[in-house]
Formats: sequence, structure tokens, C-alpha cells
Amino acid sequence: MEQTVNNPADNTSAYNFAYLDEQTKRMIRRTLLKAVAIPGYQVPFAGREMPMPYGWGTGGVQVTAAVIGPKDTLKVIDQGADDTTNAVSIRQFFAKTANVATTEKTAEASIIQTRHRIPEKELREDQVLVYQVPIPEPLRFLEPRETETRKMHALEEYGLMHVKLYEDIARHGHIATTYAYPVMVDDRYVMDPSPTPKFDNPKMHNMAALQLFGAGREKRIYALPPYTKVKSLDFEDHPFEVQSWDDECGMCGARDSYLDEVILDDKGNRMFVCSDTDYCSERQDAGHRGQQHHDQPLGGPKSSPSSEKAAE
Amino acid sequence: MYVAVKGGERAINNAHRLLAEQRRGNKDIAEIETDQIEQQLSLSVTRVMAEGSLYDRDLAALAIKQARGDLIEAIFLMRAYRTTLPRFAFSKPIKTAEMDVSRRISATFKDLPGGQILGPTFDYTHRLLDFTLMANDEDPAEAPSGENPVDEHMPRVLDDILNYEGLIQDEPTPVDENAPVADLTREPIKFPAGRDLRLQNLSRGDEGFVLALGYSTQRGYANSHAFVGEIRYGTVSVEIEPEELGFAIDIGDIELTECETVNKFKGSKTKLPQFTRGYGLVFGQNERKSISMALVDRAMRANEMGEQIMGPAQDSEFVMEHSDNVQSTGFVEHIKLPHYVDFQGELELVRRMRAEVEARLSKRDADEAKSQSKAAE
Amino acid sequence: MTLQPQTSNLLPGFEHAAFDSNAVFRVLLDAMSRPGRIYDLPINITAPDGLNTSATAALLAMADMDTTVWLSPTCATNLATTHLKFHCGSPITPDVSQADFAVARSDEDLSFIAQLPVGTAEYPDQSATLILMVDDITDGPNMRLRGPGIKDTHSLDIKGLPVAFHTWRTENHHLFPCGVDVIFASSTKIAALSRTTRIEVK
Repeated sequence: MEQTVNNPADNTSAYNFAYLDEQTKRMIRRTLLKAVAIPGYQVPFAGREMPMPYGWGTGGVQVTAAVIGPKDTLKVIDQGADDTTNAVSIRQFFAKTANVATTEKTAEASIIQTRHRIPEKELREDQVLVYQVPIPEPLRFLEPRETETRKMHALEEYGLMHVKLYEDIARHGHIATTYAYPVMVDDRYVMDPSPTPKFDNPKMHNMAALQLFGAGREKRIYALPPYTKVKSLDFEDHPFEVQSWDDECGMCGARDSYLDEVILDDKGNRMFVCSDTDYCSERQDAGHRGQQHHDQPLGGPKSSPSSEKAAE
Repeated sequence: MYVAVKGGERAINNAHRLLAEQRRGNKDIAEIETDQIEQQLSLSVTRVMAEGSLYDRDLAALAIKQARGDLIEAIFLMRAYRTTLPRFAFSKPIKTAEMDVSRRISATFKDLPGGQILGPTFDYTHRLLDFTLMANDEDPAEAPSGENPVDEHMPRVLDDILNYEGLIQDEPTPVDENAPVADLTREPIKFPAGRDLRLQNLSRGDEGFVLALGYSTQRGYANSHAFVGEIRYGTVSVEIEPEELGFAIDIGDIELTECETVNKFKGSKTKLPQFTRGYGLVFGQNERKSISMALVDRAMRANEMGEQIMGPAQDSEFVMEHSDNVQSTGFVEHIKLPHYVDFQGELELVRRMRAEVEARLSKRDADEAKSQSKAAE
Repeated sequence: MTLQPQTSNLLPGFEHAAFDSNAVFRVLLDAMSRPGRIYDLPINITAPDGLNTSATAALLAMADMDTTVWLSPTCATNLATTHLKFHCGSPITPDVSQADFAVARSDEDLSFIAQLPVGTAEYPDQSATLILMVDDITDGPNMRLRGPGIKDTHSLDIKGLPVAFHTWRTENHHLFPCGVDVIFASSTKIAALSRTTRIEVK
């Protein structure tokens, strides 16, 4: 079933390599060069309609389409997992339109497109991480007007953001932001890290890989070059801290990874598993075991091809 | 035992199969043909062309069929197709003054040169369900032709009649026909946006959204009291001028509805008062959209007219950022995608904060109990 | 619509438009993301008189009808202009302040660079990119670079880079976030300076 092709007389070869036409790719590529030259600044670009809905990763898909070449190996994750439906759908899209190799292994990928997570495994210089971004403007919920927020970035006027965070502390005793936690890039631009949990924020700092951010509906692209200073906003008396769990991963026993809560019944029983499925299965392959592990092929993409594991 | 739920390609493929099955419906009923949609659901077709920004009746009919009649989904299909098309040329400005008119009315004058031409309209139909259509034995008699041919150069109410007296603000068509016109599909929108960009945005904007905003201007959320100076619906020819030819060639006709509103006047003790204007233009016959568009266009000119902004329709950033139904439907619906990683963060925080409050409360209770027992001693 | 004015002395462009432009872009992206690191030109291409191969490849990959190109007097040969008009469709401007891409040789008069657009505080991306053709690019210790994209420091030596360039570059760096980004193009190698890069000249 050809979901990306509207005309049954056509086939995918009627589209250019990686779907976008060359002119659109050039426009996005020029935007990307500006984005890496001005780290954390949101560069406007004439985002195109894509064959998947706005809000479902069209920004990330456009960035990936402009960057990807025939020799790349692509990994796509959503919530840290390779097998979530939208990740599967985007991976299929590129497998079909660019005929590139795909992988579920973080280490094997040259381009990783992600929604809401940064892989647990440290990324390398030869890798590119592409984020899908819904609302690129970190100040948007404080000031809805683009004309105003653009001025605030130009003047480096970030007082409003600090006031908001401090109000949290006054009310709750904490900064009550757990994801999309704003960061300061190279001491200049306040940037939205996309709705990744703040657990992932420290990974952005001085990362060896290039990080690219695409917001399709809002038509903005921004970037973090490798080895760029990224600091989560905080206060001296309330320093930034990441989430921690009292539990460990039920499958691989990891205590250092971001955990998802799985509800086991309606009596309050629950367990935790790694959100990064590749990290979890790699640990299981290495013999690590959590309390809920039953030596069954579960939790992670151990066997391939992935389609055989699909449970409906 | 815990078994992780896998999204999986098979689930997606099967979901697509089920969708196709539901689209087809009961196979005992004849399959609808796209040319039936093109002919008999023509207003759906033109709405999909207008908001899909692509004038192709056959593709619009196909999109409607594929989308099971969901017009926003059909508009999305059109947009996603349109975006892959190479751009060969830009047309010359179309000349609606030379429109081959099927309908033309003015609300500001009882009669006027060129006449009031009622044309095809629901306006004066009684909205009674016509059960003969359900019986499928419709055979409408052919509509009679008028006795006199329609004026080929029908004067425009605003430009040719009102402007003759200087009663309305002068809006000459660009002196330079080749001056660049903004295009939001090729360049990112920057604010404040020019009127060309605003009009393009409204013309492809969601009909319901533009309608509601237009309505709001009539209910006090803006004050730009409007009369319909003229609505005309008909066909105009589209011309391009290929570089290598050096002269314009006609590449076909398109159906359009144009609405020009006459709005409240402005002036001062020293400046002659003049009416102001709003403009609407959409593919196909769509008076609801073109009138709404003209109302919102006029409202968005608040800054230019030195008017106080009191309603959302006057706020061009608000209007333009929310008018596109492909954008809004995508973002509204995306919250059904998994968000459990983010939710986990919130869960953890709320549990922690609850524990802290509970600890604080129980400590307070304990302290109170202690001080009470002390007082009792 | 493909125009085919078969000029007899017209040189070919990319062999494979999608793959070659991707390969060149990836080098430019890497170079701009890691200022001062030196990359090999990844494809074979013929340059018209007035341009060198890396500059030609960069323009073919990045410029099109939506970008205005300015060519310095030594670059603006008939062949170069025809080549860019045909393969990129770019308007060529005589006005350097209109340039999206400006191309020059490092050994000619560089006084034009002060007039390149640097963007505005609200839109610092509305700036030009300077493609500077040079004889050789090495990692010699002449310049020590720091800033985003650079782990500790990168060393870079551009043969024959005039003092005027460094004077301008220091001023340009202080305009941040506005500024001009520079791509050094030798016949076989490419390196870049982002506007963020801090340069210490030995």
C-alpha cells in the first residue's frame, strides 16, 4: 500500500531522491548552514507541505531529507523507541524514497531522527542527530507574538523566562518544567531543546555529533554545532537537576537510563523499562537482567527483521 | 509477565487496509467515480482547490474520493501533491474586470451599469429537502438563457463607479505588472506581513476560520462596517509570458469569486472623507469565503488605517498563524501521538511534589499535636 | 522546463544532481559545523575560467534562482558568469551589498567585504556567505581557532591570506549574531569560518 503516493499511476520513482525536489533541498541546506553558524538561533525557512501531517515530524523529515545521502544509515526513534508507529512510518518513508539503509542500532546510524529523546549511548563525531520540534520558540508560552519574541532574542532580553522559572520555585519549591526545559546556547541564545525530558539536556552540552532541529509547521530550523556550550537555565540556589528513579529497568536492570512506567494492572502495580529500546536490548544481549526479565525476546529489538515481531 | 507492545509495520499496513475497506463501503453499492464528484460535488471540489492552492478539478475530485469526503484531509492531499510540482512560470496578474461573468450583484446600488445578474445561487432557495434527489430521478429542465448578452466589460462598482467620484480609496493595480508578489509557499512569513501575503494566506485559509473571524468583525470585535460593493463570479483567463517568447499566452480559464466590500469611511476636517475597502478572491463559486475574506482583509488593515486594535480579526499575526487548516489539524491531532516520555517526567514531578506536601502537612500536624499536649500539661 | 541553449564551450555541471550536490553540501555542513577542519572536495568537477573547482562545486550545490551571486572582478569572467547562470539560474549582481554568495580570490583587493550584508539583530541569517578562493589550506599553526564546533582548538593556515582579511574578520566577529560566514576553497580542499569562531593569529 503506497501511502506516500497519491496517484496510483505513479510510483515512488516519480519523486526525487529523498522526496524533496533539489530546489527545496538547497533552500533547506542554506538554512542549515546559517543555523550552524548562529547556534541556537531559529532560522526561518519556507517549510513545505510533506506527505505526513504537520505536528508529526515534518520539520525533522525535511531536515533529514536535505541532509541524507545514498551512503547514510538512518535510525528513527519516537519516545526513544524504534518500533513506535510514527517512527516506523518515517523510517519506511526514507527507506522507500531514498532507498537508504536503516538500522535500530544507535551505533550503526549516521543520521538519527528523533522525537522526544536523545539516545543513551554517547554519539560520535560522524553522526547527525535530527530533532522533530513542535514549538521552536522557548518564549512562546510567555509571549505568543513572534514579533515580540524575535525582538527579545535580538536584545538578549530573557528576564521573562527567569521570572517564570522563579515563580515555579516560589509556588512549588521546584522549577516545574520536566521536558522542553530551556537551555542557553554558547552564552547567547535561549533555545528550546524540543520536548525531550530534561534528563537529556546534559547530553546536548559539548556533544560530539552535530544536532539539527526542524520545526515544519512553525517553519524554523536551528542547530547546535558539535562541542557547543549548552547550559540548562537555573539559579544559584536552585541548580538544574535531572530526573532520577528509585527503580531500575525491569528488563535490563539499568539505573542510568530514562525509564518509562508500564502499568501492569488496575491495582497500582507497575514496572519501569528503558525508554531507549536499543540501549535496553544491547544491555540484555550483554547479559544484564532486570527483575521482570523472563529470558524471552521482549522489550527490545533483539531479532530482525522487525516486522516479524509486530504484535497487533 | 510483561510483553512490550510493538507498533510494527504489520499493524500500520493492516490499518491502511481497513481504512481502504471502509472508504469503499458496501460493495453492493456502485463505486463513486471521480468525474461524478467533479461534476456533482463541484463546490467541494472548488473548496479543495482553493484551500489546497492548486487549480485542478480532477485531482481535487480524486482527493475527495480518497479522503472519504473529509475535505480537510482532501486539502492536505492536494497540498502534499502540489509541493512536489516544479514551478514553470508565474502568471500575469489576472484581470477580473474582464471576467466572463455568471453572477454579479451589488448591495450598494439598486441598479447599475451592467445590471444585477443573479446567476446560480442558493440565496433564495427554500431549504426544504428535495426527496426527488433521493429517488435518483432528477431531470432538471435546462435553465433559460437571458435575452440580452452579458456586458463584456462590466464596470466594477468600486474602481469604475465609486472611484469615479473619488469616494473610495484609490487602489491602482500595480503599475509594474512584473513586480514581485510575495508567496508564502516559497518564503517564510515575516511580520508585519504585507497585504499581498495576507491576502494569499486568507485565500488558502480555512473557510470556517475565515468565516468565524469575518463574523466577529460584524459583532464588534473590530469596527469596519461593510457593504458588499460587488460580488462577481465567473471565469477569467490566465496568461503567462515565457521569457523566450516575450509576449503573453493564454494557458486556460479558471473559475473565481471576487468580493469587494465598501467599508466605513475615514477622513478629517482637512482631508476629504473616503470609503475604505476590503478584498476577497477565491477559486470557484464561494461567496461565503470571499465575503468573509474581504471582511478580514479590511480588519487586518487596522494599522494602515490608524485604527485601534480591538479584535482578533485585526491582529494579522494571530489570523495568519492560525488560518491554515492543514497546519492546525496536524498540530491539534498530533497530541494523540505517544507522549509517554514527557508524561513520565510530569508524573515523577507530581508524585515528588505530593510527597513533599504530605511530609510538610504531617510534620505540621505532629508539631501541632506536640504543642497541644504541651499546653495541656 | 529545461532550457537547452547548447553553447559550444559550456562545461558540464554535476554528473548526478541529487547525489553530487548532497556530497558537496555535507562537506560544507561539516566544515561550517567544525570551523577550521579541512575537508577534501568529494567530487570531480570542471571549473570555468575565473573559478576554481571547490568554489564551483559549492555554488552549484548551494546557489539557485533564489540566491544572488556577486563575483569579484577576477572571477567574473564570461565563462564563469555563463556557467553559473546556466547551471544555477542565479542572478549575478554587480552590487556586493545584494549578495547571498560573494566569490573572490584571496590575493585580490578585498575591500568589498566590508559591504557584504551581515543581517539584522532580528534576522542575523539575512547575511552573505563569502567564498574565498585560496591556493592552499593546511592545518599549520598560523591561526588558532576556538568556539562552537571546536573541541579545544583547531589550527588553520590559509596560504596568502592578507592582513586586511584578519582586520575585517575581527570586526565581523564582534557583530555577532550578525556577520558573514566564510568558506575557504582551494582546488581540492574546503574549510570554513563560522561567524562564531574566535581567531588567534600567530
